Amino acid sequence: MVEMIKVSKIYPPQVRALVDVSLTINNGEMFFLTGASGAGKTTLLKLLCNMEVPTNGLVEVAGKDIQKLRGRALAKMRQKIGVAYQDFKLLLDRTAAENIAISMEVSYKKSAYIKKRVKNLLERLSLADKHDAITGELSRGEQQRVALARAVANSPPLILVDEPTGNLDAVTTEGVMTLLNACKNSGATVVIATHDESIFRDTTHRVMELRSGRLHLVREGAAL
Amino acid sequence: MNFWFAVFRQAGRNLRQTWPSQCMTLLTVSLSVLIFAFFFLVYTNMLGVGDKLGDDLRLIVYLEEEPGPELQEQLRRKILAFDEVEDIRFISRLQAYERFAAQLGDDSDVLADMPQDFLPASIEVVPLKNLRSLTQLKLFSEYLAKLPGTLKVQYGQDWIERFYYFIRLLSIVVFLSGGLLILTSVFMVSYTIRLTILARQAELELLKLVGATNNYIKTPFLMEGFLQGVLGSTLGLAALYVLFQWIRSNFSGPGFLAMFEFTFFKPPFLIAIIAISILLCTIGSYTSMQKFLRT
Ligand SMILES: Nc1ncnc2c1ncn2[C@@H]1O[C@H](COP(=O)(O)OP(=O)(O)O)[C@@H](O)[C@H]1O
Ligand SMILES: [Mg+2]
Repeated sequence: MVEMIKVSKIYPPQVRALVDVSLTINNGEMFFLTGASGAGKTTLLKLLCNMEVPTNGLVEVAGKDIQKLRGRALAKMRQKIGVAYQDFKLLLDRTAAENIAISMEVSYKKSAYIKKRVKNLLERLSLADKHDAITGELSRGEQQRVALARAVANSPPLILVDEPTGNLDAVTTEGVMTLLNACKNSGATVVIATHDESIFRDTTHRVMELRSGRLHLVREGAAL
Repeated sequence: MNFWFAVFRQAGRNLRQTWPSQCMTLLTVSLSVLIFAFFFLVYTNMLGVGDKLGDDLRLIVYLEEEPGPELQEQLRRKILAFDEVEDIRFISRLQAYERFAAQLGDDSDVLADMPQDFLPASIEVVPLKNLRSLTQLKLFSEYLAKLPGTLKVQYGQDWIERFYYFIRLLSIVVFLSGGLLILTSVFMVSYTIRLTILARQAELELLKLVGATNNYIKTPFLMEGFLQGVLGSTLGLAALYVLFQWIRSNFSGPGFLAMFEFTFFKPPFLIAIIAISILLCTIGSYTSMQKFLRT
């Protein structure tokens, strides 16, 4: 699903966020990316969804050089990548439900389906009572889950999650991981960037660590 | 179909968020349509009036003596040398007499004692009915008066000339108000759309990130421009129609104006005005949209 070959990213003037990163992520894999703050995790995810362009190297998603996509093709590709951003990127003046619906609206899902899906996701993330709450008035932990719900709502084949549990207690974290596992089990490729060891300690998935821009294997995943 | 559903939903949100400035723009567009259409209506009606007045407009050149065929040909050439004309008619003394008698009708017996050649021969020159010819009647009559063998030139209706000057002036006003219409609709619409875009910048950026196509982002705004054009021009024309009816019912008593029949625009012309307004407003929103999508 994801193919990165000798990818470097240098932010101007001279911040080497990623150095010669080569990485293959298989279809349907759940992949953990860890590393200290500032190690380059967010940058790597941004390269995968074309929010940043690599300084060097090749980034392919679903067999396509993501840098070469423009216009309609790029839009279609982005519909197939659900991203939960570290800074959420929620519309704070809209309700939680509206925020989640956006990713489905742009691919013209039926509104009855959207309603059902939004309700279902809110329940699974223990936000059932926040359906009509204004997003700006939610706590950070709640906003984080809304952002996650938006990322997975359209059932994209690739899900990128940046620090999904930063503001959550143990129980809600469990709910989040259950949801992401369900996505994986229904065939999605899930990439989770986190500095929180607890969420991958007890799993059998592959874990890699970024240290000042370089990628190191921490643990090989169990064979798919 | 789902696409249009999404577009309408998006446009509805835009309207809810920026309706005060949308209303302002609508008002400006309708006002400029009203102003332009008003002057244009006056102009076309005045042209109609001019047509009526001009129907029996002619310059009569009285001649010292009856011209022979050769002289007639020479005079004709001289006249045409000044300007093209609708018609040149030579009226002999006898014809003039007969016409006069016909005009007198039952009273024609007063002519019984008169010699049949007491009226002078003349040339009737009917000018072309276009603005250029009609605004230089005076020059034309001066030119004709200088032709050899003329007694005098009569056209007496030099107010007609002034009338046509007025029409010419009016056509300039029509031009200017047309320009105003173009400016206001394009710029006001593109300005309000830009306001909307700014107000919703965060959302539009996000839409791009979650994979909205350019059409998904663009179409609601284009539709806003389109709607501004439809509503603005319709409102403006409706206001003009009300004004027109009011004037007609208040000034239709006996008097100068009652001589002429004032008419409103024909449907094809109304449709043309609406179509042009739609086009202008859509161009306005399109330019704003392009600016946003390029960045
Ligand atoms: N837009 C940017 N411009 C300049 N430097 C940046 C930018 N984004 C990130 N960086 C730098 O790149 C490095 C990696 O950042 P990031 O990918 O956000 O790390 P992480 O997500 O692992 O905390 C950091 O040193 C950060 O300061
Ligand atoms: Mg980060």
